[in-house]
Amino acid sequence: MQNLLPQAAKLAVIAAVMAANSFSVAEAGTYNLTVDEVQIDTGNFIKTGIGYNGSSPGPVLKLTEGENAVINVTNNLDEVTSIHWHGLILPYQMDGVPNISYAGIKPGETFTYKFPVVQSGTYWFHSHSGFQEPDGAYGAITITPKRREPFRYDRDYVVQLTDKHPHSGARIMRNLKMVPDYYNRKQQTLGDFFSDAKKNGMSATVDDRMSWGAMRMMPTDVEDLQGFTPLINGKGPDQNWTGVFTPGERVRLRFINSSSMTYFDMRIPGLKMTVVAADGNNVRPVKVDELRIGVAETYDVIVQPKEDKAFTIFGESMGRTAYARGTLAPRLGMTADVPEMRTSPLLTMADMGMDHSNMSGMDHSNMKGMTSGDMKGMDHSKMPGMMKKANPFYAKGSGLEPVAENGGKFLSYSDLKAQKPLYKDREATREIELRLTGNMERYIWSINGVKYDDADPIELQYGERVRFKFVNETMMAHPMHLHGMWSILDVGAGKWDPVKHTISVAPGTTVYSETEVDAEGQWAFHCHLSYHASAGMFRKIVVVGGPDKTAETTSHEGVTQ
Amino acid sequence: MTFHPKRAIVILAAAYSLGFSSPVIAEELIYGFQAEEFEYRAGENGEDLAVWEIDAFVGSDELKLRFGSSAEYDLNSDKFETLSSQLVLQTPISDFWDAKAGIRADTPDGKNRWYGVLGVAGLAPQWIEVDADLYFSNKGDLSVTLDAEYELLLTNYLILTPSAQIEAAFSSDEDVGVGSGINSTELGLRLSYDVLDRAISPYIGVVYEREYGQTANISKSEGEETSAWQFVIGTKLLF
Amino acid sequence: MKFKNTAISTLSAISFTAISLLATPVAFASGSHDDGHGTKKSSIGVAGKLADVDRVIEIKMYDNYYEPEKIQIKKGETIRFKITNAGEYVHEFNIGTSTMHMEHQEEMMMMMEHGVLEADKINHDMMKMDMGGGKTMDHNDPNSVLLEPAKSAEIIWNFTDAAKLEFACNVPGHYDSGMMGDVVFD
Repeated sequence: MQNLLPQAAKLAVIAAVMAANSFSVAEAGTYNLTVDEVQIDTGNFIKTGIGYNGSSPGPVLKLTEGENAVINVTNNLDEVTSIHWHGLILPYQMDGVPNISYAGIKPGETFTYKFPVVQSGTYWFHSHSGFQEPDGAYGAITITPKRREPFRYDRDYVVQLTDKHPHSGARIMRNLKMVPDYYNRKQQTLGDFFSDAKKNGMSATVDDRMSWGAMRMMPTDVEDLQGFTPLINGKGPDQNWTGVFTPGERVRLRFINSSSMTYFDMRIPGLKMTVVAADGNNVRPVKVDELRIGVAETYDVIVQPKEDKAFTIFGESMGRTAYARGTLAPRLGMTADVPEMRTSPLLTMADMGMDHSNMSGMDHSNMKGMTSGDMKGMDHSKMPGMMKKANPFYAKGSGLEPVAENGGKFLSYSDLKAQKPLYKDREATREIELRLTGNMERYIWSINGVKYDDADPIELQYGERVRFKFVNETMMAHPMHLHGMWSILDVGAGKWDPVKHTISVAPGTTVYSETEVDAEGQWAFHCHLSYHASAGMFRKIVVVGGPDKTAETTSHEGVTQ
Repeated sequence: MTFHPKRAIVILAAAYSLGFSSPVIAEELIYGFQAEEFEYRAGENGEDLAVWEIDAFVGSDELKLRFGSSAEYDLNSDKFETLSSQLVLQTPISDFWDAKAGIRADTPDGKNRWYGVLGVAGLAPQWIEVDADLYFSNKGDLSVTLDAEYELLLTNYLILTPSAQIEAAFSSDEDVGVGSGINSTELGLRLSYDVLDRAISPYIGVVYEREYGQTANISKSEGEETSAWQFVIGTKLLF
Repeated sequence: MKFKNTAISTLSAISFTAISLLATPVAFASGSHDDGHGTKKSSIGVAGKLADVDRVIEIKMYDNYYEPEKIQIKKGETIRFKITNAGEYVHEFNIGTSTMHMEHQEEMMMMMEHGVLEADKINHDMMKMDMGGGKTMDHNDPNSVLLEPAKSAEIIWNFTDAAKLEFACNVPGHYDSGMMGDVVFD
């Protein structure tokens, strides 16, 4: 009679057993992290901060695609903490944003994060509580892919950047609220006035100063926060983090910018860098001399030093107020020349949203001072670089548009093309405009003029594809980070548009990104500059609806012990 | 930026729980202490003064509670020539301007006065900091003060600050030595150096004080000088 | 890409002379070439004849790597390479010295900038365009083959000399991210 058991039922049983097996086949990697008070020595100063497993940055968390990660996080602080896995696609309860994903981790408690690792590449993790991240609570994540990567390397180094400041995050925020230019020591001085007057003429210089003064804005407002020591993997420029190579080897460098506020222009004099991934996702390889890494972004590059000598990894802050420095060397202890920093950029009227190409109706007699002011500091030896296509991700005439130090290729967002698109290209179902707004004099940062505390959440429909239109109405660049779902950056490459988790929007520009709303729950969406996010450039995203519940398997809820 | 009444109420409520901070993004209360003037003055007529102008605040972007104290203490006679305390609520009314309302108490060695205060403070074009207050006293007198200053960066640390203050009254209050019309002006020029961030910035400078009209006459009748050059040495503080 | 002076002048003249080098296979194939270290000069080999084939080697091109990534050759051997593009992008199989590859990469970069070459397809019409003097950008050197996804081709090559050779894909970015392999002589 057993033979009469319908074949279909038999198959169903087999399928169920196989499904159960395949679930358990996925390895469960268990990782333990403690959140600790630590000492941070930058070589310039020592301060108390927050770290993981006793150090800042924390350990490199090495995950494997396909495994079920189990991460026990024990809070040894006397305040609530949290860990956000930056760029990881996971159930929202595991995303680690207090008051959005969960309640946070109380002092003395252990929270167990459990989630399947569904991607590969370079990411990072950090606290999402208060100013713990700028205080040192960050670490790197590398995820080994299931399949062979579309590039080859013999060595693999994380190069994690931060901007370590002697002041605590809370102190910095309060100082910025009291005096917004508290940390700006690159302001134009009387001496600058006279040297500009000599160069551009007195009346042009007066016009220039008056036009900025009328707006009560500063062309030097490139970095809100100065006075920090840039670190590479926790080491200051003098402590010189060093990665060893054998000449001829391909070295993968995983640049991660874990700074609170600082963009870095990275280069390795003497070596070309082949960019192979951005924000964890592989891009079509592009060979560059220099690249700018926005806060919270990651770039993976391959370099191939062939000579038996040392090379300096040099990262100037965008405002040229400090540099990160490390070394690639055949042997420890070897060093290479450390370049001088270039002159600090000045914002132009283009960065203030006054696009010169749209100014035909304007009285050009008023423009005199502005244009000559814009030309100031421009190195004419770099003019050949001007022949290249302007970078569409900077305002036309922007003072921030980077130029490679050696006159070569500087990576632009337009160079980024997905190596293997994650999503089918399709028309967005709707567009959401997000004006990035602020008041520098009050140090208020907002979206559409409304701060986080006053704003309603943005509702997205599960299954839709939204097109975000970022209009930067401020004079600062904002790295916008959407949690839980990918941001497909519109570089005009259609289905090859790169997939990122953080999108930097330069002043005076409009940038579009599209998101396939494929994750249920509620998520954070914010500028990743710590003090901008805290000041209110932040939104909660609520995804309405979800996948067919009957198709769902187990939930991935965390456990508080 | 726009003012959110809802937020103001929330902030006032939060003021009860000072020190409490929500675990995440919720904005924290901000607070600060500043001494714009904290100085010793030696005048051409033998004046020997300790002078301060300090303020402390707590609140949010939308609403701040601000306490200010200004004083001139005569070291020769061990007397407060002026001692003024002010408590105001301050809220933004435009991108660069705040409105203030509150009370002021003048309690020098001499007659005391209470005032209601209405004022605006902010940043005028070309980076001129302006503070203008209207006072109405418990004696029914109306007066105004206007403060303006500008920071000229000789370097990013060495700063020359010209300042001007004008006091005027719409009626005289002879008990406290105030006549109607423009009473006094104080012009200052201070050269400061930021030795520790912007927290401690010692300075030296000169101040020229002058009284006018009825106010000057009252001073003269009391045997006081009506104008004086003073050398100042002191420090700005910001915490 | 870094424009050297020569590259700029070539580009501005839009003469495509640099690219048309591709169409002079004989000079390419049989000439003597620096091995990239300036020590010795040796031939990269010549186009082989079917009758002389000693061995067949299959090369699979993926995004962006080869399988295998190293081949063993005896001096004088004639190899029939069966090359398949199993990736989703255009790939090249090109036998040469690292210096030759580096020069070729600049040409390929120009092809890409002029739309002759796209990431996943080759605009054959443009390649066949007469660039003057009967030269075209056609990629028909005997030491190399440029393949669209899912396409296959064969190359017969006689390794006349034990030179320091690499097989490489010179599509922009591919070589630098590791799409190359060593030719190891026994």
